[in-house]
Amino acid sequence: MAINGEIACHSCDQLASVASLKAGESAYCPRCGHFLTRIVPDTYGRILSYTIAGIILLIMANSYTFLSFSSTGLESVITLRQTPGAVWEYGMPAVAIMVAAFIIIIPAFILVLLLLLCIPLHAGQYQPWLIPVAKMIFLTQNWSMVEVFIIGVIVSLVKIADMATVELGISFWAYAGFSICFTLAISSLDRYQCWEQIEALQTS
Amino acid sequence: MKTSAPTAASQNLAACHICTKLAEPELHHCPRCGATLHLRKSNSLQRTLALLLTACILYIPANLYPIMITDQLGTSEGSTILGGVIILLHHGAAPVALVIFIFSVMVPLGKLMTMFYLLWTVKRHSPVSARQRTTMYQITEFVGKWSMVDVFVVAILVALVHLGGLLAIRPGIAALCFAGVVIVTMVAAESFDPRLIWDEMEEKNSDE
Repeated sequence: MAINGEIACHSCDQLASVASLKAGESAYCPRCGHFLTRIVPDTYGRILSYTIAGIILLIMANSYTFLSFSSTGLESVITLRQTPGAVWEYGMPAVAIMVAAFIIIIPAFILVLLLLLCIPLHAGQYQPWLIPVAKMIFLTQNWSMVEVFIIGVIVSLVKIADMATVELGISFWAYAGFSICFTLAISSLDRYQCWEQIEALQTS
Repeated sequence: MKTSAPTAASQNLAACHICTKLAEPELHHCPRCGATLHLRKSNSLQRTLALLLTACILYIPANLYPIMITDQLGTSEGSTILGGVIILLHHGAAPVALVIFIFSVMVPLGKLMTMFYLLWTVKRHSPVSARQRTTMYQITEFVGKWSMVDVFVVAILVALVHLGGLLAIRPGIAALCFAGVVIVTMVAAESFDPRLIWDEMEEKNSDE
């Protein structure tokens, strides 16, 4: 059966041919308008640079002060990790685990997986771990909430702005940079094109 | 709208939900990535309905109980999600109050209502076209995780605000319930299969 170059729309199951798609172009479903696939020029080199920058920034975000809060001579300073940590200490381990997973653990895990995926794909070599790694990335990518957390920090700052003086630490800026790199890396990875590439390397 | 090109299901092809590969559903597993193959997500409507009902139940304590408790100079005061919005309005922080109101009140409620509506109309005639319903579904899927903002705000404030015995913020039980609502509705949106909206239309077209 000739099904090469065909894709079924994820939203409405319509079949569409994307064989003639060129670099830089995107394809949309002819029936429901849902995004199908796109070819990002130099995808894997691009994702690798965002990923490496993201990993460095995430390490920085975990090494310095995140926020400091001072009022009437008293000061409280927190790191990124203390955000879920404090919730844990107040007896809500479930919320603490969720927060830690959504803002640090899952994004860090995805960045490491992206390295494992994109280094062989960039070099054009097949590796036996490509398929499980790609599966894991596509399963977990919806559960990272780095950009939501940034909004959360901004809202928190406004909420306590008239209670005390709040200062943003280096770690906050590193995390903001990390969230941009992470979002760019994930949005450059196209599901259909990535799997076509893996299959082409596997059969060659 | 008339369509000439066929759907994958009409050609007896299932699209792998992980790697988009088209393969015969009789294979049960995707020949490329090994994920389970389904023509449509299994028990999509029942699963989505069960998860939506769970979210509705969790939504009640999430709004009735305080999401965070402020201990200031020996007195403690709890604030609920809506209470927090009102406090922000009184402080003159209208834009932030609006952000919290949209993400913590409108998004979860809108999501629940949209998903119930989609479930209700999937097997019935709807005045809203299939294309519009698909767009409604995609928006619901996209905004889901943004409701977590309030939970993150609680986590940050709890960690940051404690100055000896003078001032401290503790998380309230509603934080757990609300995080539950967000996660359960995200899973509900994921278990709903938008292709069912179009399947119904196709059956009608072939009847005529």
